[in-house]
Amino acid sequence: MITIGRSQVSISPWKLSYGSRIQFWGILFILPTILFFMVFKYGPMGWAIYLSFTGYDIVTEPKYIGLNNYISIFQDPMFLQALNNTLVYIVGSTIAITVLGLGLALIINTGIRGARFFMSSMFLTNIMPILAVCLVWRFLFHPHGLVNQLLAPFGLGRIDWLTNSNLALPAIIIVTAWRFAPYFMVVFLAGLLAVPKEIYEAADIDGATWVSRFFRITLPMISPIVFFVIVVSALLCARIFLMPFIITGGGPGGATRVLSMLIYETGFSYLKMGRAAAISVVLFLIMMCFTIIQIRLFSKGEEH
Amino acid sequence: MRNSEKNKKFSGTGGKMISRRGFLKGVGALGLGLAAASSLGKVASAQPKGPVKLSLWTWENPQQRPWIHKRVKMFMEKNKGVQVDFQWFTFTDLGKKVSVGYATGTAPEGFSTGTWLMPTWLTRNMIAPMDVKKLGYSSLQAFIDDYPKAFIASAVKGGKVYGYPIYFYGFINYLNTNHFKEAGLDPVRDQPKTWEELGEVAKKLAIKKGTKFERQGFKFAMHAAMWTMVQFNPILHQCGGSWFDKDGKCTLNSQAGVRAMTIRASIIRKYGAEDPADTIATSPLPMMDFLKEKTAMFSTHQIPPAAVKSQNEKMAAEEYYRPVQMPGVDPNKRYPSAYGFNFVINVNASKEKQEVLHDLYQFIMSDLIDCWKDTQPFTPARKSGWADDPQVKGFPHLDEIIKARDNGVFLPETPIYNELADIIHQAVQRVTLDNADIKRTLDEAAAQVDKASEEFKTKKS
Repeated sequence: MITIGRSQVSISPWKLSYGSRIQFWGILFILPTILFFMVFKYGPMGWAIYLSFTGYDIVTEPKYIGLNNYISIFQDPMFLQALNNTLVYIVGSTIAITVLGLGLALIINTGIRGARFFMSSMFLTNIMPILAVCLVWRFLFHPHGLVNQLLAPFGLGRIDWLTNSNLALPAIIIVTAWRFAPYFMVVFLAGLLAVPKEIYEAADIDGATWVSRFFRITLPMISPIVFFVIVVSALLCARIFLMPFIITGGGPGGATRVLSMLIYETGFSYLKMGRAAAISVVLFLIMMCFTIIQIRLFSKGEEH
Repeated sequence: MRNSEKNKKFSGTGGKMISRRGFLKGVGALGLGLAAASSLGKVASAQPKGPVKLSLWTWENPQQRPWIHKRVKMFMEKNKGVQVDFQWFTFTDLGKKVSVGYATGTAPEGFSTGTWLMPTWLTRNMIAPMDVKKLGYSSLQAFIDDYPKAFIASAVKGGKVYGYPIYFYGFINYLNTNHFKEAGLDPVRDQPKTWEELGEVAKKLAIKKGTKFERQGFKFAMHAAMWTMVQFNPILHQCGGSWFDKDGKCTLNSQAGVRAMTIRASIIRKYGAEDPADTIATSPLPMMDFLKEKTAMFSTHQIPPAAVKSQNEKMAAEEYYRPVQMPGVDPNKRYPSAYGFNFVINVNASKEKQEVLHDLYQFIMSDLIDCWKDTQPFTPARKSGWADDPQVKGFPHLDEIIKARDNGVFLPETPIYNELADIIHQAVQRVTLDNADIKRTLDEAAAQVDKASEEFKTKKS
């Protein structure tokens, strides 16, 4: 009951029209979810954005400092290096995941013997615990580890995968592709299976080669899937944390320190939470760009 | 009144069918009722004065944590009115957990901390001063005299004591005596006293086949920033350098800093006796390369006999390892970094709890022989009350271990310790792994350190 002037206007839900009552109940039912997101998602996000304009050391009260954190991080070589690493990692991993995932899907789609077993065993890389994966790869990439031993017959000498600043990030990209490509292989495979066989049959009659079939039929037909994989894997890679954290600890010389690691260290190790929040906002904007691209591509795809 | 009448209907006592509206209102009323009852319950339970409940957080270590836990349990048995919630976290996580605890109002009343983090807590007024008399000392001077100078540097500020010491130790150079004998060297007479000697001896001890070391001569730890700091710090001091000047400007890129980093890199660059990329060390077992005999010398804190036995039974049984002092730039000034752990009190703890924590800390550290028996060879920080006991004296090379503790220099006192450590760790990695130019790397590192400490300089001014 709401009082307006001297008159009382009843807005009790029980006296609403049928349509309004449906809406009322609908809102009531989704209210817990809305509250959940407000408290655990949008609330912290808003709080992080606020903190990015403050000097906050976790312990004392946040103090408003305007854009200082943003100005400061863009003058900080550690941040610029992490930003560069993150972008290189996103681009490198996305290309590797897409090419490898599509390649594997094409192989399986040929209907080779043992395809199901091959697919299942490949998918295992995606469900293995990340900690175990990272520790195993640390041993594999050891200067005298299995990777170098396998490469030795090809005349490649000792490669310091994880301790050379030019190779450490590519090594992490290799592990990322190894882990996630099989997952996206399944996505590609679904797309490949949806391509009508008649088109290939017609192409065969016209004497199309395997290459022209791939570039003129397969790729155009599954292009929405390709875009989907590119955007989703880029988003996935933008958030990467554990792999470089466990495998190299961000080293050597910060060569594998990505933004998410820098956020963690800045906030919880250096106790500069305001600054960490500013870096988070930058990472959020990067991911937002990918999300906007994804939304636009999908809306175009739907129109198509 | 109206509500209560309606509530009767909702409960079905009116004999009517429960409508949807009625049901929802009933659920709402029940929820409100439960919420009110639970909050009243909290108030009610807080009223009567019960036992003193406090929490104590510490770091995990296979020997030290169980011993502290044992002492806490004994204290609770003696003091029935005290309940201690004892929790422990990994060495690297403890500081972060405590910080987050302060931010969320869930920090423990008492916690142990690495001595190197003391400036971090003190700069932010997070820990309370302690009363030395309640810790069993007649005066502040008596307290100061009972501890190594490096410990006092971190725990006593402005005439007040902020940390009650548990353990304190200095790094020592462990030698594999079998490797020395194989190379025709005597582990005592030929132990390296200077960094040049260390390089020469390491060169003799190293065995290399192609690009692979069968055995490295000496190894600096590369697995964690903390270890990089502990190992680089004394070299910088021995070269006459310092981390900061009196105005707080980083002086790492001074001539002394360059010399220190040149020494740090010399085992690789000049003597070719170390491969920094070839290591099996991990944070839980940083001395793994030494225990697996992949290196003949390794600079570390004391290695417990149990750790040696768990990794190399032969080495443990035949005892072909021994600690000696770290080398110095001057052979007569051989000293390492010294550091340890303190008990501290949360500044937000009530007076009553602060009093209890004084009693608890004093009780835990009141039997140092028991401490030694359970946690040897980690040295208690206190000078008195344990080292002369016959049960302690029999430990092999204890004199070397205590000497390192007493002569050690403290790590840089700065509120940006973790940031500084990461920057130095990266600089060392660039120099040793990427063969980067030392002066340029240190210039960049010093600039980064200055940037990191900017806000504290501003606050100070």
